[in-house]
Amino acid sequence: MTTEQIARTATRRFTGKPMPRKEDDRLLKAQGEFGDDTPVAHLGYLAFVRSPYAHARITAIDVSAAERVDGYLGCLLPEEVETLTDPYMELQGPPGDAEVDRCLASGGTVRFSGEPVVAVAGDSREAARDAAAAVVVEYEPLPHVVDAREAVREDAPLVHPQIGSNIAFDTLYDWGDIEFALEKADHVVEVDELHFHRFSSTPLECSAITVEYDAGVDTFTFTGGFATPQLATFNLAVALRHPANKLRVLSKDFGGSFGVKLNTHIPATAAALLSRKLGRPVRWTETRSEQHLMGGHGNERWFRNVKMALQADGTVLGLTYDALDDVGAYTRYEPLGGVIWTQVANACYQLKHLKVRYRSVYTNKGPVHPNRGYSRMQHLWLVERMMDIAAHRLGFDPVEFRLHNYVQPDQYPYTTVNGCVYDSGDLPLSLRKALDLIDYPGARRLQKEVAGTGKRIGIGIGSTLDSGTNNFGQARLVNAHLPFGGNTEGGLVKLGADGSVYATTGGVAFGQGHETTVAQVVADMLGVGYDDVHVQRGSDSALSAQTGFSGSYASQFAVTGIGAILNATKRLIREISLVAAATLGCTPEEIELADGTARVAGDPGRALPLAAVAGIVHFSPADLPADVAEEVGLVARSVYRAPFELPDLERKYGNLTLTYATQIHACVVEIDEETGHTKLLRYAMVDDCGTPINPMVIEGQVHGATVHGISAALFEHFAYDGDGQLAAGNFYDYHAATALDLPSFAYGNVVSPSPFTPIGAKGMGEGGGAPLHALSAAIQDALGDHGMVLESFNPPERVLALLRGLDAEKVKVLR
Amino acid sequence: MILPPLQYLRPASPAEAVTMLSEVDGSVVLAGGQTLLNMLKLDLAQPSALVDVHRIDGLRGVRTADDGTLVVGAATTYASLAAVRGHPVADMAAGLVDRQVRNRGTIGGNCCLNDPTNNFPPLLSALGARFRILGAAGERVLPADEFFLGTLATAVRPGELLTAIEIPPLPSNAVVAHEHLQVGADSWALARAVVRLDVTGGVVVDARVFLGAVYGSPLRLPEVERHLAGAAVTPSLADVAGLARDVDAADDVHCSAAYRREMAEVQLRRALLAAVQRSTR
Amino acid sequence: MTRDITVTVDGKPETAAAQDRTLLVHWLRDALDKRGPKIGCDTGNCGACTVRWDGTLVKSCMVLAVQADGGTVETAASLSEEDGSLNPLQQSFKDHHALQCGYCTSGMLMTATDFLGSGEEVTEETTRRALKGNICRCTGYHNIVCAVRAAAGERP
Repeated sequence: MTTEQIARTATRRFTGKPMPRKEDDRLLKAQGEFGDDTPVAHLGYLAFVRSPYAHARITAIDVSAAERVDGYLGCLLPEEVETLTDPYMELQGPPGDAEVDRCLASGGTVRFSGEPVVAVAGDSREAARDAAAAVVVEYEPLPHVVDAREAVREDAPLVHPQIGSNIAFDTLYDWGDIEFALEKADHVVEVDELHFHRFSSTPLECSAITVEYDAGVDTFTFTGGFATPQLATFNLAVALRHPANKLRVLSKDFGGSFGVKLNTHIPATAAALLSRKLGRPVRWTETRSEQHLMGGHGNERWFRNVKMALQADGTVLGLTYDALDDVGAYTRYEPLGGVIWTQVANACYQLKHLKVRYRSVYTNKGPVHPNRGYSRMQHLWLVERMMDIAAHRLGFDPVEFRLHNYVQPDQYPYTTVNGCVYDSGDLPLSLRKALDLIDYPGARRLQKEVAGTGKRIGIGIGSTLDSGTNNFGQARLVNAHLPFGGNTEGGLVKLGADGSVYATTGGVAFGQGHETTVAQVVADMLGVGYDDVHVQRGSDSALSAQTGFSGSYASQFAVTGIGAILNATKRLIREISLVAAATLGCTPEEIELADGTARVAGDPGRALPLAAVAGIVHFSPADLPADVAEEVGLVARSVYRAPFELPDLERKYGNLTLTYATQIHACVVEIDEETGHTKLLRYAMVDDCGTPINPMVIEGQVHGATVHGISAALFEHFAYDGDGQLAAGNFYDYHAATALDLPSFAYGNVVSPSPFTPIGAKGMGEGGGAPLHALSAAIQDALGDHGMVLESFNPPERVLALLRGLDAEKVKVLR
Repeated sequence: MILPPLQYLRPASPAEAVTMLSEVDGSVVLAGGQTLLNMLKLDLAQPSALVDVHRIDGLRGVRTADDGTLVVGAATTYASLAAVRGHPVADMAAGLVDRQVRNRGTIGGNCCLNDPTNNFPPLLSALGARFRILGAAGERVLPADEFFLGTLATAVRPGELLTAIEIPPLPSNAVVAHEHLQVGADSWALARAVVRLDVTGGVVVDARVFLGAVYGSPLRLPEVERHLAGAAVTPSLADVAGLARDVDAADDVHCSAAYRREMAEVQLRRALLAAVQRSTR
Repeated sequence: MTRDITVTVDGKPETAAAQDRTLLVHWLRDALDKRGPKIGCDTGNCGACTVRWDGTLVKSCMVLAVQADGGTVETAASLSEEDGSLNPLQQSFKDHHALQCGYCTSGMLMTATDFLGSGEEVTEETTRRALKGNICRCTGYHNIVCAVRAAAGERP
């Protein structure tokens, strides 16, 4: 079968079906191998001594007491790191590129509470803990800043004084002509300030990294959760001043990343230095408290001076705002967020004008990492919030208003204000399905019935996009000198000596079922059984399947990972066909693969089992004509290259992502008027990610993203107090939703195949934060327009204040 | 997640436990460990030794004395307590925290920690419970209001061991109601109120009213109790909840002191209404 | 202080050293290479370390290893059928896509096994309440609840 045939539903045995996952048996039998599972001989354990201050000068470090601890192996001090490493590469141009970021506090200063200062190794977990506890660090506290709005003031304490301000990145996006629109529009709605709060998907497995330095070949092997193994290799090579070809990055089973484990190379650097210094393998197993301090927070963003222009018929023309994105103390993937949000500039709507001044701002808080829905979710929430606010204040029906402004099905491919191309979708149908799933008319009736009982009902809609398959050329919008453009992923498929089919992808899985979906498409293409395809667990940078951008992030595997596997499988089919044709006496074009054989089309009697094909190539190539024998190795490696061009840097214009999965959520909440407590009564989500490969896996991803959003909207907040201390440093204070907090979900889907991808599938999984939009809207709906929901985090206390009119004055209808 | 160095001691009897607690400086009682061990993981406490009492037979189990008093061993787990059906304490225990923690957490540990969010201190106070404390000098029995001294503080001194909690039988004319507001569906308490009304002839003859999760909880509200005494059992009784408006409360990551204070009042009103409803049913 | 302790783990008596401060979860993982109990938090919230100790469901991060000396512990490794195939609950998890990364799965299975064996009524509400002490960050719980209910013969 060919790729083209796979795309046709009729020829699929496995692709598109809810095949049970290949990963499951080992995980269900407690036979998985996660980061801290693997026994390693002679292992040393690493513990970090961390700063208790948000901002302070280190005045003295005394490790003498640690040296007396039984089992102490050694330590790594900031001055050694200054000598032995180069700072991590900064993406931003001047002056922000003067930031210096290393694996331990650099320049004698700590810049957030929880920043590692000393790395200590012991021959047991206990020895490492005791030795770290015995290290005495003296600090001289410095003034700190924890609010991005204060950080941009002239007199603010500076997180990195050499930069001269707390601004890492400052740019203006101006597409269309919003000034003209605001001047001429029938209506202008203005909001002083909205705030998207700080939270993280907090994967259940915290980081665990094992580094083994092999002095004989001067090579480091890193095992653990690296979501982007080649980028990690590159970052480690720069930091360690070590050739990239002498670094190997491995992952096995991986207990969740959701984006935040894209920066694992930072603690890994310290572990590597200690491993080399001590001459033994070193493991760092992060605790939950450490994960919360610096395992990566999602971007916190302030939206100020927001104005939306609308016509009397409900047509939205566009909007403008100033964004302050609080990136914490270091730009570890930032300021890419400053451009990544523009992938979804239009959100779900036919906006014509958009003007945003965007600043990435340092504060003395934990650094942000890309978190599920990274950077797009914040803008999508803002736009959806403004749509909702405008509907409330101007008296438009929230459903009709959205339907009217959505990008319409006949407009695809739809070009956004900034040149991104929305590939396909049917938002109106998705919304109607979502409303059916919550029984919208019934919910409206219920809303009337409960009036006066002390409860209120709110109905909310969240429309969102999940943009996937990045064009890395967008990095040049942050810094024109960055050498990135396009996107690739690798895949390797081979026929082993016994005829077994093996597949390896450059991607890294942490629950998305890559072993399963790869096997589905490979089995279909090769005409073998699903169980006959063996897919490698995890990833290995030493295997040739990886490309520079390999990894799992930005909702892309169904396009890039599967695309690479499809290309590799096609190459393998070509080789199999050459061998079979030479053996069976026909042309390669006459060969078809079915039932585990290569056979002559239309003459099934002339068939060669794949094991025989493999046997000839591996053990009796002399049976083959020389030209075939030379070409065929039955190891096919291919790259999928996403069809991108570089964006126009002047206009900040161009296609930044290949696919746009859509999600429309609808929910019904009940609010207790006396306490502000919000209870979810009904929750529905309608997903459209193009042609499905495994609908079961897709629905699971939608469920998971939904709960991340619900939990973030109601429970999860990485709040800092005035002293710069994280107030939610563990799962006691950071309430990750439990089974009891949630209702069952009503799931529906729409299938709008992508015209741009190999089999019509779109990347998905991040989800676009729809529950944050939907819950904000539902709470707003319950309030009427008494209070205005201008925060993404709405715990009971805030909802109670909203019931009493909070923030109503911050929204003005100028006309 | 490594604990600081410590010594583990397992006494065979309450008396031996008391000896160990008296003789080993910095030793503390390990009952269910469902809070203590977490505090140790987070380096919030550095005891030199843990005296494990969870297996001491004399400290476990629930029995009813001849006068109807429920005698609960201090190391009785929530799960064991929940099995005693039909008692307010059992009802409370049945829904506590989660399945695993109910199998380990003990009522004595819950009381001795006296974290403001804990469920049992206000309830036991309302029920008039007595606390048996064993020390080197012998045993003493304290009523709840002398046992709970304030946030994270009780009358149990170093070297002493809470051995049992005695809950006198509820008179037939008594109703108990408790209400709470929690993070999420059923997580940490933001505010809690427990009300006990003894009712005769449609009139409150005695009232015991306690708040939890506020400062110094379990916080008794004598003024509310005075207003309730002698009042007719009607829904308007709940109006006295307004008197709780000025209690001390503290900020935390989940809410402000002002909100907690207001919610205490709301929960008190609801608990009073529930008690009225139960009483008139 | 360090001492040898003996615990019957998944049906087999095991003896290994433990410090007084060693948590049961660390002893099971580090001394015995048991991969069922996982560590997902440091406050007893996540339930990834859930095991049965002397027949009782507990979070092994809130038990000292020395406390288990002489007792029995069952981890998720004990759940499969004798021939190594999935038991009905495990199979139901697979059928309902009740796991993604798999990190919480062992703990979830232990809790669900305990719940299903308790004789309690199995409804959506009771199932959600039973699983409350086990955090999953991938699945959103929906499919886990379905899998547990289906294993009890309920049609969710």
